[in-house]
Amino acid sequence: MTFVNAVLQGIFLGAFYAVLACGLSIMFGVMRIINLAHGDIAVLGAYVVFFIVEHTGVSAFVAFAVALPVMILLGYVLQLTVLERSLKAGILTPLLATFGLSIVIQNLLQLTFSPDVHSLGSSAGLITTSSWQVTSGLSVSALGMVILVVAVVVFGALQLFLSRTRAGWMMRATAEDADAAELVGIDSRAVYARATAIAVAIAALGGLFLGIRSVFGPLSGPTQLIFAFEAVVIGGMGSLWGTLLGGLALGVAQTLGAQIHPQFAVMAGHLLFLAVLIVRFGGGRVVLRTGR
Amino acid sequence: MSKRKLQSGGLTRREMLKSTGLVLGGLAIPGVLESCLTSTTSTPSGTIKIGYVSPLTGPAAGFGEPDPYVIGLAQKAFKDGLSIGGTNYSVEIVSRDGQSTPSVGSQRANDLISGQKVDLMLATSTPETVNPVSDACEAAGVPCISTVVPWEAWYLGRGAKPGQPSPFKYTFHYCFGVEQFFLAYTHLWPQVSTNKKVGVMYPNDADGNAIRGALAPLLKGAGYTIVDPGPYEDGTNDYTAQIQKFIGEDCQIFNTFPIPPDFATFWQQAKSQGYTKHVKIGQIAKTGLFPSQVSSLGAIGNGLASGVYWAPTWPYKSSLTGVTSKQLGDGYESATGKQWNQQLGASLSLFDVAAAVLKASGNPKDKSKIVSAMSTLTVETPIGNLDWSKPAKFAGVTIPNVVSTPIIGGQWKQGVSKWPVDFVICENSADPNVPIASTLQPYSG
Repeated sequence: MTFVNAVLQGIFLGAFYAVLACGLSIMFGVMRIINLAHGDIAVLGAYVVFFIVEHTGVSAFVAFAVALPVMILLGYVLQLTVLERSLKAGILTPLLATFGLSIVIQNLLQLTFSPDVHSLGSSAGLITTSSWQVTSGLSVSALGMVILVVAVVVFGALQLFLSRTRAGWMMRATAEDADAAELVGIDSRAVYARATAIAVAIAALGGLFLGIRSVFGPLSGPTQLIFAFEAVVIGGMGSLWGTLLGGLALGVAQTLGAQIHPQFAVMAGHLLFLAVLIVRFGGGRVVLRTGR
Repeated sequence: MSKRKLQSGGLTRREMLKSTGLVLGGLAIPGVLESCLTSTTSTPSGTIKIGYVSPLTGPAAGFGEPDPYVIGLAQKAFKDGLSIGGTNYSVEIVSRDGQSTPSVGSQRANDLISGQKVDLMLATSTPETVNPVSDACEAAGVPCISTVVPWEAWYLGRGAKPGQPSPFKYTFHYCFGVEQFFLAYTHLWPQVSTNKKVGVMYPNDADGNAIRGALAPLLKGAGYTIVDPGPYEDGTNDYTAQIQKFIGEDCQIFNTFPIPPDFATFWQQAKSQGYTKHVKIGQIAKTGLFPSQVSSLGAIGNGLASGVYWAPTWPYKSSLTGVTSKQLGDGYESATGKQWNQQLGASLSLFDVAAAVLKASGNPKDKSKIVSAMSTLTVETPIGNLDWSKPAKFAGVTIPNVVSTPIIGGQWKQGVSKWPVDFVICENSADPNVPIASTLQPYSG
């Protein structure tokens, strides 16, 4: 039963990682940008939700609905002002630009909101700490369930968007070959901006869940970025369903690792990450799936 | 955010050296050279410069938050200068942000020493900021007074060994240590009847390992059973394994020294998996230093036990500014609109010590006079009466230059003041002058 419980908690944790990783995966898949500010954008999203909760007293979920358009707009602005320019200057510049952005976001948050930590746990209501006690050693937490369902819905919706809608086809075409897509009349600027907006919005969702699960401060972003990044790599760079599975695999690896020894929890995730790297990119062929 | 490190014993000392070693090798030595090249007379006589290094940004930024208010109080008190040995000196405070990073702390200290030519250095909050500043001052021969680093981490962490002559001539320190935590816990926990089984979550970092090595054996000796699932990494997001173990063993006391987000994650999962029903005392340290870390938890934060090194009910006043502890807390709350926090008393106490030692030296421009005045200094500060003629002891051995200060145990409770949570003092074994407000109530979150 301990084993079953560990796997179950690992799936819940993995769904959280998958939500955090989703935006990272989109930006890499479409634009080949590794967004080092992704964790900080998630935390920024949590702060926006927190700000609304503090000033209106509504539930964290209602506040998130209000925050969503703000974050989407922020995504557009981010793409048009920072990322688009840096993309023109080669593959290293976006990496540096997002690294800088990460520091800027952290310090702006500290200036605006002070170093105090906040949580969205109490404003999310009973979901935060409720659970169904199946047996004495097996409990299903309401929050874990919510995150898992939301993760599956988000990934499913994105998949539908990419495979069924015109905007989705344009995004896939641009991801394959931006120049060729331009030739057939696709405005790659608009596609990129849309991709970033989606990525930022889902990052904010990750921030919401982070804020409910724990507390966050101005510097909480980077620690979460590591796990999100590992989920993306385990699932295959730029692959959407892969990212969901990668997140779940990472979560389960961590909780099973903790069963062996608590110190082994985070390490087990890192080892899985390394093993995937070696299997996929081993044998001297250190090339990313170019897809172009 | 706070990364206070409590250390004693070989392993942790090595870890500490790892982080400060580079600093020592790379930056402190140029500091010596510069101070040799420049003449010994520093600022023009008649002006005293005090350097002050604290973390204003980075993970320990919460400690630096009261600084503008506290430095404002000190500047007001220094406005007419200090009269020492018949001469009136004007006093200038030069403050710097250590950015919670050892290399930055060291750079800032060296800048204050060689650029600003400070006569006296003050440093506070976490080994990452304080230890490199103390090291730079020791190397350059500038007197330095520091606090809010558990003294073991400051003394042993910088390479000193108990029982051997102190390698420190210019650096002085006052703070609590592991013994004060032990005192507070063993006077707090008997107030609630429990099965004396303590579930502990000590992370695999400098604090966690030091506490595991130093505090856990003391608690065992006092009759407590320690249930330790083993060290975990900072940043872990799931604690199912530990929670199931604590439930299985029915650990009615819980003790932890985590970084704040890890505790929040753990405590929510403990609630949802049913462990908090077993908990009668939830004793947290390192997190819960600042009210926001407890109030952000909501209902499950109510009743958590903790310890403080200062609170507005402390019966002492600042000898420099004349401000009582109550006035300090109230003044900060009305000036900033924020709740008092324990760093207020500690930060202000540094300026009390500085003013007292400058006066006692007879000649503040002579660093050797300041150092000799330090060794016998007694001074009243908000956190208590400090007396360097009675240094701290470690296993019966005197620790020169170090004064140990109290940790007072109590409980964060909702609905006791106008703030979402406030600290209620429940024991005073380390300083009987601090008034007790209530007895410890069982946790029922």
